Amino acid sequence: MKTMLHTLFQRHWNPYAVLLIAGLLSALYFGLTSTVWAVTGEFTRLGGDMLQLLGVDVSDWQYYQMVKLDGDTWNRPDGWIVWGMFIGALMMVLLSNSFKIRLPQQKRRYVQGFVGGIIAGFGARLALGCNLAAFFTGVPQFSFHSWIFIVATGVGTFFGAKLTKMPWWKGRPSLTAGAAKPSQVKIRVIQPYLGAALAMAYMGLLLYFFSSGQTLLGLGALFGLAFGILIERGQICFTAAFRDLFLVGRSLMAKAIIVGMAASSVLTLVIISLYDLTPITQIAALSTCVGGVLFGLGIVMASGCETGMMYRLMEGQVLFLPVFAGNIIGATFLAYAWDHLGIYTALVEGGAKINLLETLGPVGAILSTLAMLALLYALTLYREKNYHRRFELKRGVK
Amino acid sequence: MNLSKDADFTLDLRGESCPYPVIYTLEALEDMNKGELLQVITDCPGSFRNVPEEAIAHGYTFAQEPVKNGQEYLFYIYA
Repeated sequence: MKTMLHTLFQRHWNPYAVLLIAGLLSALYFGLTSTVWAVTGEFTRLGGDMLQLLGVDVSDWQYYQMVKLDGDTWNRPDGWIVWGMFIGALMMVLLSNSFKIRLPQQKRRYVQGFVGGIIAGFGARLALGCNLAAFFTGVPQFSFHSWIFIVATGVGTFFGAKLTKMPWWKGRPSLTAGAAKPSQVKIRVIQPYLGAALAMAYMGLLLYFFSSGQTLLGLGALFGLAFGILIERGQICFTAAFRDLFLVGRSLMAKAIIVGMAASSVLTLVIISLYDLTPITQIAALSTCVGGVLFGLGIVMASGCETGMMYRLMEGQVLFLPVFAGNIIGATFLAYAWDHLGIYTALVEGGAKINLLETLGPVGAILSTLAMLALLYALTLYREKNYHRRFELKRGVK
Repeated sequence: MNLSKDADFTLDLRGESCPYPVIYTLEALEDMNKGELLQVITDCPGSFRNVPEEAIAHGYTFAQEPVKNGQEYLFYIYA
């Protein structure tokens, strides 16, 4: 029992296992609700809610008609996905006694996070999804826009990684000669008790949703919680998946995400065929490409995407407050620019909704998806090998 | 075993988020002479895994097992 608790709360979980479960759960969530695990759509609605609080009437903005700004966030299943993720992550942080206010030593990080957050929020909504709906849960829906988005995000993160390495961007660390003392450890441990109390309260809320017949809200809250727990314990980071491959040849997260998407695609296909569901297809257009590049650049600038920032904020990483604010501002600005600044006409109108299930049939869709994922996996391995070969050479010369 | 007294350099990364702990650690090790000992203090949960794994992947060795110190970790790495 003690070892089990230790493994569950003191260690981070294997990213492969976590993303496999997340992939299967998101397919299941689609089967139950016909919606996907996504977050930035809700961020955009949160921005709309705030504007309405300030007296701005957004009801005639086309984007809000498209993403359906109904009720408030507590009455939207997508809202509960977001709050469930925050709470699930916080619960695990507290239970593992790992909350700590973490203030960046480099003050420039706040500006980088805020600006990066705006760019990432804007880009994600321009492409109609972030690393979830246009990536991790978009590929298993066989929506072709996610294929374009993945490539575009890769390009954006490549330039983001270049920026990260610039001396004026990264700053100089505090490197001192000799040894230094670590922080004094607090003897009194209260976090796990707070975590347990939070868990009980949330269970009560779930019971309330299901017993009062608000099944969709209950499912959103339940799956949100599960996703929050998983991404925190697995330290799942889509930003790192691309960025660290470019920066230090690290491939773990990229490989785990690809494996998770493959499993999710297979299960989603089974669910779609069994229950005769319509997959969720988003428009593939120039906007997908531009949005993906901006998103990739923004998440590296901000050190986290819309999903990753959620659990880091709950861990007490203060940097992610401006990132969160930036995400919402960027997403909301896109909603404004959509019709008011002519973005729809310029970048979206010429596109089309392409679903591989329709164009290639079920067998063609799953085979081409798996082939695409296999190619991504191979490219990841190649990049890792190539990086380390060059690093060895450099070290050898030195 | 307490190696902290013998560390030649200390990299205090408390508060820094990923990827900077990995970048800073690898750069510090690269600039040090072979055999010198680097102490790393970090509290970014992502770095608890990627700093040691990348230090090893880049050919450096650990002087001792990572030390968990409350909400932070201490690493002792030979350049």
